[in-house]
Amino acid sequence: MSDIESAIGKSPPRLEAAEKAAGQALFSGDMVLPGMLHGALLTSPYAHARILSYDASAALAHPGVKAVVTAEDITGGAIGPLVRDEYALARGKTRYIGEPVAAVAAESEAIARLAARLVEVEYEELPAVATIAEAMAEGAPLLHEDFADYFKIYPAPENGGNLMTRGEAVMGRGTDGFDEADIVVEGVYEVGAQYHAYMEPVSVLAAFAPDGRVTVWSSTQSIFRVQANLHEGLGIPMTKIRCVAARVGGGFGGKAEVSGELVAVMLARKAAAPVRLVLSRDEDMTSMRARHPGTLRVKTGAKADGTLVAREVELWFDAGAYADDSPAVLSVSLQYARGPYNIPHVHVLGHAVYTNKLRFGAFRGFGNPQASFAGESQIDELAEKLGIDPIELRIKNAIKAGDRWLGGQTITSSALGDALRAVRAASDWTRPRAAPAGCKRGLGVSAVAHTCAFLSAGAIVRLQGDGTVIVNTGAVDIGQGSDTALSQMCAAALGLDIEQVSFATPDTDSAPYNYGTVASRVTYTVGHAVHEAAMAVRAQLFDHAAAMLECAPERLELRPGGRVGVSGEPARNAEVSFADIAGRSLYAVGGPITGSGSFMTSDPLDPEHTKTSGLLDLGVLSVRSFGAQAVEVEVDEATGAVRVVEAWCAHDAGRAVNPGAIESQIHGAFTQGMGYALTEELLWEDCRLVNPSFMDYKFPGAMEAPERINAIVLETPEVSHPLGVKGVAEQPLVAAAPAINNAVSAATGLRLKRIPLTPERVLNALLAKG
Amino acid sequence: MDFYQPTSLDAALALLAADPEALPLAGGATLVAMMNADLVEPSALVSLRDVAELQTIEAAADGGFRIGAMISHAALADEARLGGGNEVVRQAAARIAHPQVRNIGTLGGAVAHGDPSSDLPAALVAADAAIEIAGPAARRVVAAENFFEDYLTTALKPGEMVSAITLPVQPEGAVGHYEKFARVHGGYATLSVAVVLAMAGGECSHVRVALGAAGATPVRVDAAEARLLGSVLDADAVRDAAAILAEASDPIDDVRGSAEYRLMLVPRLLGRALAAAEGGA
Repeated sequence: MSDIESAIGKSPPRLEAAEKAAGQALFSGDMVLPGMLHGALLTSPYAHARILSYDASAALAHPGVKAVVTAEDITGGAIGPLVRDEYALARGKTRYIGEPVAAVAAESEAIARLAARLVEVEYEELPAVATIAEAMAEGAPLLHEDFADYFKIYPAPENGGNLMTRGEAVMGRGTDGFDEADIVVEGVYEVGAQYHAYMEPVSVLAAFAPDGRVTVWSSTQSIFRVQANLHEGLGIPMTKIRCVAARVGGGFGGKAEVSGELVAVMLARKAAAPVRLVLSRDEDMTSMRARHPGTLRVKTGAKADGTLVAREVELWFDAGAYADDSPAVLSVSLQYARGPYNIPHVHVLGHAVYTNKLRFGAFRGFGNPQASFAGESQIDELAEKLGIDPIELRIKNAIKAGDRWLGGQTITSSALGDALRAVRAASDWTRPRAAPAGCKRGLGVSAVAHTCAFLSAGAIVRLQGDGTVIVNTGAVDIGQGSDTALSQMCAAALGLDIEQVSFATPDTDSAPYNYGTVASRVTYTVGHAVHEAAMAVRAQLFDHAAAMLECAPERLELRPGGRVGVSGEPARNAEVSFADIAGRSLYAVGGPITGSGSFMTSDPLDPEHTKTSGLLDLGVLSVRSFGAQAVEVEVDEATGAVRVVEAWCAHDAGRAVNPGAIESQIHGAFTQGMGYALTEELLWEDCRLVNPSFMDYKFPGAMEAPERINAIVLETPEVSHPLGVKGVAEQPLVAAAPAINNAVSAATGLRLKRIPLTPERVLNALLAKG
Repeated sequence: MDFYQPTSLDAALALLAADPEALPLAGGATLVAMMNADLVEPSALVSLRDVAELQTIEAAADGGFRIGAMISHAALADEARLGGGNEVVRQAAARIAHPQVRNIGTLGGAVAHGDPSSDLPAALVAADAAIEIAGPAARRVVAAENFFEDYLTTALKPGEMVSAITLPVQPEGAVGHYEKFARVHGGYATLSVAVVLAMAGGECSHVRVALGAAGATPVRVDAAEARLLGSVLDADAVRDAAAILAEASDPIDDVRGSAEYRLMLVPRLLGRALAAAEGGA
């Protein structure tokens, strides 16, 4: 029935494109309420200090100041998605420079910022740990003395000091499998800390109604995570919390968990007035999150014919002062450390360690970029030693449908081989590249897999009086286009045009539960629920139509634009419109037509297949999409600068709901991955972040992006999804750094093991090589 | 904070003289950012936006130029009359930050700020420009080379401001080139090299070289230029000149590169800048 699925596979303009292009989109920081106050933070000047006392009198005495809050105003418990180790504001101790300690609400932002500095906090400075090595040293100062007593949802190490997580997985004969290898390569890889650099800094508006209910509009990836954190962190029952997402100017994982919401609610409660809190860029960079920096020792063994037989990985992540998503990031990183290959013998071991730095948490790729940079760089080293073409080596070992992933989940569909062949053909892989004088050019490749099904999602589809529908999922579009794609999926199930579908604003008052816009999950996971809900509406439409047309429901068909007709009878008198059906349901028979869908990812791991310890239960994370990227780079031998000339990115969308949006995702993710590979790195001197500004922290802009990022969208339908879709939001980032690094190797003969590949590092390596 | 918008230079100078804590506001590209970062807290801003006499580019009879302090980087970058050796200034203006910044930032503001990592100081030194200074008592002129005294420190005295830049007539056949190396387009330079070069009969007949981001002020050394003069810009001459310039440099370690790396770039970018200028000469 091609008609009824016509809304899928097209690239209509984003639903919100016009308002964004016109500058009319309403972000949290744009919102204004009568009597609204402005919030500002006071943050810790110390990396590690005991808080001895607060004195807010000077701040409160300042004209225009309405409220000051500190940890003494916290009415709930500790928060944290995996281990409850932090509070809305630093309580008892501060653990990183930039940690919010107090906040002020005042009549203007300028007054609030000024008054925040008048809040006097007496500290007793404590010794701090700036690195993993310092944190793990014998007798190191502890960040969390009471770690053993914290509530956790993962098996944490006992008596581990600052060691927050230690996870391990063994497949096959583990490291004993190296005895089957003819060639073994081993190396240590280092990855830097990347900042999310979403265009919109953290922002929130909180307002209490007279009945004591608080409404929170915020820049978030999950209204339900905000609600849960407000409940846990401030003890407010969920009946009294309404969370709404305004337009969100990017998230990339940085807004997956709560950010400024608790502080804004505390201020609004104490000031008895609405409070808007918008962080400045430097506050956002010093107080929020970043990607885990770390070190990975990787060892891979192969037979002489290129068959991979064993891999060992030992990774260490700096997790910063609070756990946030770190235990999950570590688990996922280890799950991807084997790579998308059929390696029979695997041993992966990882650690995440508390240090006195900002929180390292969720970030597009979620542990996979680190693992893939190391693992995929090493595959190229192996290919060189084996004398096998890097793409050929990858195709030979590529995981296929029916194979099992580390952990034991079965791969339901894989286009990895197709993706590798696609980039080989598109990039004209074997053609030598001419370089300008003083430069060298080369091509590199990387394979990638990433997940797209995660936790639970719901959807409600309602038929409206005029025969249109409204779909409500609670999923937040953070700029990637999910409002449009989910509307297309809803429209497709009902044979509607996208204009006949409204997408409800994410609002915890009305939306079914949805975990969040993370893990590339929305298209697959939320799409599953949307399809189910729309199909439930369709069944009711057919019941009504059967009665109205006096025929059996089996004889009915959907017709485009919102009509149900009798198969084989195209005449207008043999069909009814959705509007007619709506009228009948609302005013005569049956009542309102509403359909709901509910989906939970469940793909249990197999302890017989892979022995694990210390990891999260990853059975709620499943369905992998595959891809490959080839990149041509130019290395300036005089300066060491690396320029990406062109990229070819083939990714399997299962079935492309909105090809234009997928291409945009690929362009954006590749460019962000390019920044990770080449220029982006937060830097610290001891525990002080030295580059918290866009003047000093540099990500690629339009001038750095290659003229052509060739997006190749593959469609190998995913059998576990009713529409065959997969998500591809993260993998073009994951595969960027290793492909670029491999291209630099091809161009120069260097084997670099640390990103970002700054010009200085590349030049020094070139000179050392001679 | 008070805000004034006078329409004459004299009125602006009078306002500045009346309040030692007041600052002149040109484009604001840097000053407003510094105010936002709480690095400066002026008691008043004296906007120069409506001072017409600061807004002109005049070609002098001898072939040089007098460029008003309020000329934006964008206008400077688009000034087709700046060719030959003075091309170095036009190129430097074109490499400042991004279009938005170039549209508001001004020549006078950038000069008065005296940031050695910014693009115009080195270019102006290479072009042998002069800085016209207007003060409450008198007007004076200081050679660009002497104007930049230390990091963010210039020859400007309290109450004074930059009113114009003059560019001299460059030697016959001279070509200017600004070679900038930054982490990304629009970033501050890790190192930059400004060159004005003339060749005669295959030999260097005129050269001025200034380095940006190589020390607290633009780095220019007579001996380096002497080594290049009369040479065919062979590798030895370029290497020797670069070594002299590097010796005089005192770069810092920062997020844009280590001091060591910056010194490594000196010969590399000098060679590139000279080659580019020679190619155009």
